Amino acid sequence: MRSKIDKILLIILLIAFSVSIYLIFQWVPQIKASNPAEQIAQRIFYFHVPSAWLGFLAFFVVFCASIAYLATRDRKYELISVASAEIGVLFISLVLITGPIWAKPVWGIWWTWDVRLTSSLILWLIYVAFLMLRRYLPDGSKRANLSAVVGIIGFIDVPIVYYSIRWWETQHPKAVMASSEGSLAAPMFFAFMFSLATFTLLYVYLIRKRYQLLTLEDTLNKQFKEMEIL
Amino acid sequence: MSVPALEILGVSKDFGRIIALRDVSFSVMPGEFVSILGRNGAGKTTLLNIVSGVSRPSEGKVNLFGTDPGDRENKAKLAVISHEMFLYGNLTAIENLEYYSRVYNVPDAKKRIDTVLSDVELTHRRFDLVATYSRGMTQRLTIARALLHEPSLLLLDEPFTGLDQHAIGMLIELLKKQKDMDRTILLTTHDLHTAAELSDRYVVLSKHKIIKDGYIADTTPDAIREKYFSAESQGAEA
Amino acid sequence: MMRTAISILQKDLRMEFRSKESILAMWIFSLLIFVIFNFTFEVSRLVMLEIAPGLLWVAFVFSGMFGLNQSFALEKENGNLRAMALMPVDGGEIYVGKFFSVTLIMLMFEALIFPIFIIFYDLQLSLGMFRLIPVLLAGTIGFTSLGTILSAVAVHTRNQQILLSLLLWPLVSPIIIWSVTLTGMILSGEVTEAFYPLLLRVGAFDVIFFTLSYMLFDFILED
Repeated sequence: MRSKIDKILLIILLIAFSVSIYLIFQWVPQIKASNPAEQIAQRIFYFHVPSAWLGFLAFFVVFCASIAYLATRDRKYELISVASAEIGVLFISLVLITGPIWAKPVWGIWWTWDVRLTSSLILWLIYVAFLMLRRYLPDGSKRANLSAVVGIIGFIDVPIVYYSIRWWETQHPKAVMASSEGSLAAPMFFAFMFSLATFTLLYVYLIRKRYQLLTLEDTLNKQFKEMEIL
Repeated sequence: MSVPALEILGVSKDFGRIIALRDVSFSVMPGEFVSILGRNGAGKTTLLNIVSGVSRPSEGKVNLFGTDPGDRENKAKLAVISHEMFLYGNLTAIENLEYYSRVYNVPDAKKRIDTVLSDVELTHRRFDLVATYSRGMTQRLTIARALLHEPSLLLLDEPFTGLDQHAIGMLIELLKKQKDMDRTILLTTHDLHTAAELSDRYVVLSKHKIIKDGYIADTTPDAIREKYFSAESQGAEA
Repeated sequence: MMRTAISILQKDLRMEFRSKESILAMWIFSLLIFVIFNFTFEVSRLVMLEIAPGLLWVAFVFSGMFGLNQSFALEKENGNLRAMALMPVDGGEIYVGKFFSVTLIMLMFEALIFPIFIIFYDLQLSLGMFRLIPVLLAGTIGFTSLGTILSAVAVHTRNQQILLSLLLWPLVSPIIIWSVTLTGMILSGEVTEAFYPLLLRVGAFDVIFFTLSYMLFDFILED
């Protein structure tokens, strides 16, 4: 049953990704930009923003699973929170990589201490620390408790970080950032939403797989222990 | 029929990769002295942690004086002695005891501190920093700290490891005194002779399960060793 | 009600003042921060005044990390953290005790660091500087309210010091950003109407962090 759902998901994902790649690189019309590099770089946006969305979604799941864990002490929720944190860090890493790739041709710089960049970086740091903490602690209910506490504090801190950096930014006007965004044209909007949906589906698939793997590890470990006992 | 001080009902501790206890059940009457015997890793410490309310069982239930072990009233009634000292080296003996007597709301603290200090023969060093104490002296102060609030339930986790002969003798004497005062005591140890000398009952934990629950009067330390701790018995018992 | 919290606070302060060397070491350390910064950033006096508030908070935050690490290393040393888990009180009360002790110690460090700062950067003392007191209080409380609970988390690992930095720095960055700005306004004498709303904001986040940690501390003590 479980593997059947996974198989269907995988097939849908393969199709959806093929379609979104077609939409992004073929179907969406070229934007009008003076800089030819910008025209190409702009298409990163369809991967960059969904990755960021996926990161936030993943960290929100960490937050919910942490609360659920402290309420129930069920190992299940601990495993969900770890799986989600790992996926979140992966996709925020992608955000931090694709961001500069876009920024270099468009803004002429790799990095600027802009609110979105800086808060993504701090977000990434928070959850890397979360995963590091888990590596330093031995498995057991103590580790589950401690990481759930950090999972809760970390997520509540996220909007505060964003808020503070946005505030800081208004105090320090920047030279770059000529607003090239504006509103999206209809085909662009469609391609973007399609990509967003595809990424969300990818998250569902990844967390299912990662969770299954973690449960398998547990079962295997227990069976080894049993064998010692018998 | 009196009510048991402690009831452990089908307790398991099983979390992720760790299996510490499996379906452990037994009860302890008020005033009873029970030794929990077993090899390292058998789950003795986990069991004491669950009784003291620091750790939660993943299955089963524990009743301590009729309520949950984590309740404040219960925590106020119990004391733990283990290889951890629970003392601050940068404070004197008196300051350490004053700190704990305030936390545990000990009535007439000054007098009580004097009593426990003289019980462990540390009155002459009471104004010295604990950091300057020898290991044996620190251990004695640990005992004094545990008895400070006159706990109804004493949990002793391998209390004799690392003690010098003098301190061992002193601890045994103090424990006998506690027993005479009808305190309930749980002791984990692998020292079968001391266990036999002190306790009424013994429980043998092996591989996270109870394999024997019996009375000391019915057996001898050597018989226990022969039956549960010799190399041959390991394969057969489970 | 708060008997245990007060006992923890008293005990911590007594130990802190007993180890005078560590207070001295901390003070010298912050002196070094100013000296090193002076040589690594060879800047004009005008620029120096602009980065001075940041520098001051760097010194404060380092002293705070030092205090946090020391305070929780002592609790771990002889299993005292477990002794705390065994105490007949809510975890929240233990949090309150530790919070007040690390906060008072950090404020004491700040009081020792500030005069050197004034001398090194040749700042004019004025009546307006009294406004620094609420700023330092609000910034410090924000730092220590998160720092206390995260130290109690980090202390369970072998690499307590590095892990505390990894956990605490990103989470506490908003408080530091605002505290530096507020301090800058006061030192430059340009206190705008944005000052009090901003101060209030830091205070509000202090309350959030404190309440959250108070509620969660029980889970940290549990095994």
